[in-house]
Amino acid sequence: MVEHPNVVCPFCGCLCDDLSITVEGNRIIKTKNACAISQSKFMNHEKNRIDAPTVEGNPVSLDEAVEASAKILASAKRPLVYGLSSTECGAIAKAIELTELLGGVIDNTSSVCHGPTILALQAVGEVKTTLGEVKNRADLIIFWGSNPTEAHLRHLTRYSGTVKGLWRPEGRKGRYIVAVDVRETKMSRLSDLFLKIEPNGDYELLSALRAAVRGAKIQAEAVAGVPRKQIAELADRMKAARMGVIFYGLGLTQSDGRHLNVDAAVGLVEGLNHHTKFVLMPMRGHYNVSGANAVTAWQTGYPFAVDFSRGYPRYNPGEYTAVDLLSGGEADAALVIASDPAANFPAEAAKHLAKIPVITLDTKMNMTTMLSRIVIPVAMTGIEAEGTAYRMDDVPIRLRKVIEPPEGLKTDAEVIQKIIDGVKAMKGGM
Amino acid sequence: MGQVEVVLISGRTTEQGTSLEIGKNSEEYFRNVAIVELSAADAEKLKIGDGDGVEISTQYGSVVVKGRISKGLDRGSAFIPYGPWSNQVLGGPTRGTGMPTFRGLKAILKSAEGREVQSLLEIVKTFRRGD
Repeated sequence: MVEHPNVVCPFCGCLCDDLSITVEGNRIIKTKNACAISQSKFMNHEKNRIDAPTVEGNPVSLDEAVEASAKILASAKRPLVYGLSSTECGAIAKAIELTELLGGVIDNTSSVCHGPTILALQAVGEVKTTLGEVKNRADLIIFWGSNPTEAHLRHLTRYSGTVKGLWRPEGRKGRYIVAVDVRETKMSRLSDLFLKIEPNGDYELLSALRAAVRGAKIQAEAVAGVPRKQIAELADRMKAARMGVIFYGLGLTQSDGRHLNVDAAVGLVEGLNHHTKFVLMPMRGHYNVSGANAVTAWQTGYPFAVDFSRGYPRYNPGEYTAVDLLSGGEADAALVIASDPAANFPAEAAKHLAKIPVITLDTKMNMTTMLSRIVIPVAMTGIEAEGTAYRMDDVPIRLRKVIEPPEGLKTDAEVIQKIIDGVKAMKGGM
Repeated sequence: MGQVEVVLISGRTTEQGTSLEIGKNSEEYFRNVAIVELSAADAEKLKIGDGDGVEISTQYGSVVVKGRISKGLDRGSAFIPYGPWSNQVLGGPTRGTGMPTFRGLKAILKSAEGREVQSLLEIVKTFRRGD
């Protein structure tokens, strides 16, 4: 029996790095410090695994599956490479190399989570911070359209809410917590202030707060369902904070306005920095979605939605984003890596995946593997394979390997390299 | 038969997270994700209780899921966890962003009157048929 200390959880963008995983033989028997989702990931990692590579549902060898995949991709006119947020940076780099070789389009899951965040930050800039700074300094914590009690279960106890920091030794008592949401949640109940906002009212409320921070009196009785008294009080509290932070989620990026909501949030934070230290941070979902953006940006110049069809990278969200490419019927083949777009995309886009040859690299059965022509099982990154991932504040952290993968399974990066080799051989030793 | 108009929002839940790690083809995932949370007032109007089938319709499609009454929701708001069922009714143009409409969409809820919730495999089959 071996207890591995300081294991990093490969589930959400918190990348908690204080887990202890106890292994007996080659089996995980106990976790410590893991949240409910992390515990489920480590303890159930063996369940519902894909047994063997398949082509048209028939078991084949890895080499046969790779060859069939290379054939589909090399002959496709508009191949889409998609997913990448739940694998490590090395595999993402390999996927980009393959896409360039194919003259295809590469997109990651941020196009359906914080893609609008990226669009806004590219336009208006960003005030960056780390979760360590928040832990040690922040006395005003705002969760806007995000709910860590459901999606980032240890965020409050490790980084933001109840944790004791160097200059926040009182922990929870030293912090004022605000929740902005369209419904009452566990998060709103444990906040000091809950602003219940009308659906799609974020831009209005952010604009009203910006005005209030500048000293304007709000004329309307309420904005987006929030009484003007609450708006004025929150504006005063924001200005009086020693360090404030807005953690925002998909409530902002997936509602009406999308990137413009984030633009307004940046404007609010900018205004507040005339009075005090204020920052904002997107609550990134998948454990390496930040890494998918980082690696794609440093290799192609753009963080997602990149088209190589002209031999050089071009960027155009709304055109080269996966949902658009599939809904429009443009993609004629797809390579899906560590993602389940058939389940996570609107039906219109998902249905196109049933019409084209799809190759999926994943660990477990899901809706995309059910639709795929070729399925290649891989080692589970962060449990059976190591690699680097980026936390939601863009701090890179090395993922650990605590057990050996099932026999014969390669990592995402190794399988993609084999496909690259296969495509090169077919294209005449490029 | 009564119906209510709601604003539909989607999102993560802890149970969606824990059960997807068991497996998307697991019973737990089906039980935790093929649901819609609605207010007690709207449930009463539809004459449905916890666990009864609810049909959700939007301009993009319709789906049957199990209803779950939630105290946190006001009349006229409904919540559906991310997943294959929510995606039968969400979507639309991305307006140049890559992001479809996953939140804040108008939807009609009514009792599904005994119609069953589709399994993951059944949804895959409808995709294959091009329905």
